[in-house]
Order: sequence, then structure tokens, then C-alpha cells
Amino acid sequence: MSNLFSLIQNENMKIYRRFGTWVMIGLLVLASVVGAVITKTTYREPADWKAEIASEISGAKEQLKEKNIQKTYKEHLQQQVKINEYRLEHNIKPLQSNTFWGYLVNSADIISLVTLFTIIVAAGSVASEFSWGTIKMLLIRPASRAKILLSKYIAALLFAVCMLGLLFLVSAVASAILFGIETIREPYLAYQNGTVVEKNMVIYVLQAYALNCADLVMMATFAFMISAVFRNQSLAIGLATFSLFIGPQITFFLAMKFDWAKYLLFANTNLTQYIDGMPMVKGMTMPFSMMMLFLYFILFNAIAWFTFQKRDIAA
Amino acid sequence: MNPLLQLKHVRKEIGRKTIIHDLSLEVFAGEVFGLLGPNGAGKTTTIRMIVGLMGITSGEVLINGISIARDFEKAIQHVGAIVENPEMYKFLTGYQNLIHYARMTTGVTEERIDEVVQLVGLEHRIHDKVKTYSLGMRQRLGLAQALLHRPSLLILDEPTNGLDPAGIREIRDYLRKLAREEGLAIIVSSHLLTEMEMMCDRFAIIQHGKLVTIESVQELSKQIEKVLFTVEPVEKALQLIQTRYPHINITHTDQGIEIPLDYKEIPNLTAALVDGQINIYGIQVLAKSLEERFLEMTGGNEIV
Ligand SMILES: Nc1ncnc2c1ncn2[C@@H]1O[C@H](COP(=O)(O)OP(=O)(O)O)[C@@H](O)[C@H]1O
Ligand SMILES: [Mg+2]
Repeated sequence: MSNLFSLIQNENMKIYRRFGTWVMIGLLVLASVVGAVITKTTYREPADWKAEIASEISGAKEQLKEKNIQKTYKEHLQQQVKINEYRLEHNIKPLQSNTFWGYLVNSADIISLVTLFTIIVAAGSVASEFSWGTIKMLLIRPASRAKILLSKYIAALLFAVCMLGLLFLVSAVASAILFGIETIREPYLAYQNGTVVEKNMVIYVLQAYALNCADLVMMATFAFMISAVFRNQSLAIGLATFSLFIGPQITFFLAMKFDWAKYLLFANTNLTQYIDGMPMVKGMTMPFSMMMLFLYFILFNAIAWFTFQKRDIAA
Repeated sequence: MNPLLQLKHVRKEIGRKTIIHDLSLEVFAGEVFGLLGPNGAGKTTTIRMIVGLMGITSGEVLINGISIARDFEKAIQHVGAIVENPEMYKFLTGYQNLIHYARMTTGVTEERIDEVVQLVGLEHRIHDKVKTYSLGMRQRLGLAQALLHRPSLLILDEPTNGLDPAGIREIRDYLRKLAREEGLAIIVSSHLLTEMEMMCDRFAIIQHGKLVTIESVQELSKQIEKVLFTVEPVEKALQLIQTRYPHINITHTDQGIEIPLDYKEIPNLTAALVDGQINIYGIQVLAKSLEERFLEMTGGNEIV
């Protein structure tokens, strides 16, 4: 009987022995480095950050005076005011893009590229075996179809993890070289139990990365499901990327009119909405979104598993 | 002896179409068994069901007595197969392909991989990418992946496809050796009768998804059709034979007189001819060719 570890090893071999994979890896490195260079050449620091923070505080206070303000947004504004006041008091400059940590936080935006590449890998992992005709060699071994599917799914997620690690590493190195590491002790200001506390900035960076991963995991799983059901890589890539870019817009419009929009996948993938205090539909919370994501995750995997398990291999 | 492979009343429906009707057969260790039928007869579909790529609508496939449908992993363990073309990962080398399949079973060592590579004669090109291989080399690599884990049942779907006559002969000799010396049960499919004749001990003829008959190559070639008597004078002999066997259809050709006759009757007729003062120059048994028998069995259908 094949063990799962060997099967994953096989899938990794099929991912990393392909030229296309290395093109994707190259593009990711390039994006990270180019992003740092562009930031270096174009970013202008504010002349007087204290004045800007002061005007932000007064702006927030104006807003807080309004009557029909959403409760979560109100709390968010109050926290911002507290944190900004703390800044002025302790002379802590807000995080600038042209610093070590600043660029690293911004590099989390490049995760959408990792998402796209993971979609491509996940979409290919089942569908390619069909288009190459190798599926009939693969499925006549002492390994259950469920195990083979699982190994492919794990390999796709491992690819995502490697790409994220690479992005972080390259961004950190590029950032250190271009912006220096003098500001590495800069603290991250968090609001906890009614007070502002100073924390290590690395926590903030990891949080930025983690929040962006909900999209990544969900779309990779979605692409994987389409790939297993329709056995067509282009279709899986197309549907997943289309959903990735258009899904949030459509959900946004639906959310303005209908309450049930909160049950849609894309109402829940953007977890930063809770950090900003502006959930898409009133009353949505982080645990609610986590729950919905989990349900979709189970659903996608169940569909993939069920169809792959049952169907005749006639390719 | 227990059969290594048993098909019991196997049926396959796809949609509303029945592709395989009630197919039953048994294959034993040490024999090369053929599946013969024209394109679209259902050979590949049958093989797909045997190796678990397709579900079985009704009936049962047993490998070593284990049901492929109920206990797939255990049943497939001792099977090596190529279904249709030997498709490999083209962006990997031949060796990497073999590593890939070796990892999926237990007990395949590096020495075994080297041994199989030698066996199929790919040692000079095994570290090249498969996309640079010719069809014949891919067939060899396909055979290597099928043999890697020392299967007791080897299934090859149209293995001679794209091979030249020398390659076909090589495969034939090799399969026979595997069956005789290592006791494998081997199934090969083909749409060519001559190949079946060359490679197999027994073969099943399949047409439109139905089993027409199972034949043994040896017995088939033994069946007598006619006896040719070269005699003089012909007219007198014809008369004599006709009176002796009034209901038999006798033909007179350039070579002599052809009589559909039972084996045992040959000495009797010879004696009668000698008694009748007829000179006998030759007696020749004309075995019915496999081709003729085959056309008879399939109702003169389109198999080459
Ligand atoms: N997936 C499928 N759906 C519908 N019909 C099929 C499918 N696969 C094969 N068939 C039909 O089943 C018959 C047998 O096909 P196949 O087993 O490939 O024949 P062979 O291998 O003997 O040439 C053909 O008529 C073919 O059209
Ligand atoms: Mg076929």
C-alpha cells in the first residue's frame, strides 16, 4: 500500500520538475524586488507626520459625533483615536512604506500573485493527469483514489506555503538592502483591553500575511474542485481567477441590497474587513466568517472527493 | 489450478448503452491470453474494468480471488498494466517516471529499477526526458513500469501498436518467456488475428461487447478441413469416391481431389482406391487456416 508521504513526494516532483513552475517562482521574486525598487524611488514621506495624525484624530472625532454610525465602525474609530494619541504622546511615527517593516507589510499585497499561481497549480494537478493520459497509470496502483487526491491537494497547498515563504524572504532581503534595518525595533501599536500596547512588528506582518491567505486557500480549493469535477485545467483556472477578481465586486453590490449576501463566499474571504471595522453586511463578525469559510472549504473538498472517487476513467 | 483472473458475468453500461454483455472468462498463471476483436469491440473497456478504472455495472472481477471492486488496493497490488497507449510524464526522464511508480508500491528497490531497465533495453536512454522518446521506446518504458513490482498478472492493451515486425517478435518472445519462466498470467489485446496466433496460448474473440468464443491456438490449428488426394486416373477415382460417400461435397482442383473427410477415414479410402486400381501419388491433410475458422466463427465480419 502506498503511503501518503511517497504520494506527496511524487506530486512535488511533478510540480517542481516543470519549467512553468520555475517561471512562476521567477515572476514572484521579480514582483517582490520590483515592488521594493518602485517604493524606494517614488515614495515620499510626509513632511510633518504629527500634523497629519492630529488632523486624522479630529476627523475621527467629527465622525464619532454622528448619530446613526455603525457600532463596529464606531469602536474602530475610537481605537484609532486612542492609538494616534499614543503616537503623539510617545513620538512614534506611523509605519512608512520605505522602511524595513513598512515594505514587508505592503508585500502582503503580492499574495494575490501567489493566489493566482496556486490556482494554476491546483487547477492542473488533477486535470493535467487526464490531459496527459497518465491518470490511467496513476490509478492502477495500490493507492486509493482518496489518498491520491489528498496527496495532490496537500502538494498544492505546500506549493502555496513555499511561495509565501519565498515572498516573505525575498521581500525581507530586498527591504533590508534598499531601506536598511535601522528601524527594525519600531513597535507595532495594538489596542488591547482598552489600552494601547507596543508589540513586535513581526506580529503585524504575519497578521497581514495570514489575513490574505483566506482568499488563497479558498480559491485554490475551489480551483482544485473544478479541476477534479470537470477535468479541465483551463476551465478551472478561468473560473477561479474570474471569481477571484469579479466575485468580491458582485458580492459588494449584492450586500448593499440583500442581507443574505453575507452567506456568499466572497463576503467572507476578505478578513481585513474586521480589522478596519467595516464588515460588508451589518452584523457580520470574524467568527461568523471563519465558520462560513470552513463550511465552504468542507463543501468544495467533499464535491472534489466525491466526484473523483466515483467516476469512470475513460480518458 | 486456481485462475489468476476471473471475470464472472461482467456487464458494462454507459448511459443507456450496453458496452459489455455478460462476459465470463478465466486466465491462468503461465499462459498468454488474448482478447481479440475489431476496433470498438470492447477490449479496452474490459481491461478498464479489470484494473478498476471503470466501475462494473453487474458481475464480478476477481484477481487472485480478490474482488477488484470491493478490495481495490489488495487486488491491484499484483497487477501490472498498460491501458491503451503507454502515456508517461513527458517532462520527466524515463528513470524519474519509474521512480514515480516505484514509490507507489512497496518493495521496489533501486536495483530492481535498474534490472527492469536492462530487461526492456532502455539503459542508454533512461536518463533522457520521455518527450525525446520514440513510440517504441515509450512502449518499452510502459512495459518497464508494468513489470516494476513483479506482478503476477500482466495486462497489455494492444502492445504491438506502432511497433515494427522485429519489435513485435521481440515482445512476443519476451511475453512467452515471462509466462513460461516466471509463471505470469498475461493478457494482451489486439485487433489482429495473426498477432494472437503468434503470441497467445488461448484467446477470446469479442464482438460488439459479446464473447463469441474462447479458442486455444494449438487446437484451432489442428482441426482438419480437407484431405487432398493426388491420383490417376481422376475420372475413375471421382466415381469411386462419390459412390462411397454419396453425401459429401467433392471438389476437383488442379492439385487433385479435395474431400472433407474425418481423420479415421483416410486409411479406409486409401485402401478402397488401391483396390479400384487407381494410382495414388500423394495424400495431404489440409488444415483449415485459422483465418477461415475465424471468419466462420465471427460470421465473416470485419476483423483483419
Ligand atoms: N466513455 C464512453 N462512453 C460511451 N461509449 C464508450 C465509452 N468508452 C467506450 N465506449 C464505446 O464502447 C465500445 C467499446 O470501446 P473500446 O472498449 O474502446 O473498444 P476496443 O478497445 O475494443 O477498440 C465502443 O463502441 C465505444 O464507442
Ligand atoms: Mg482499445
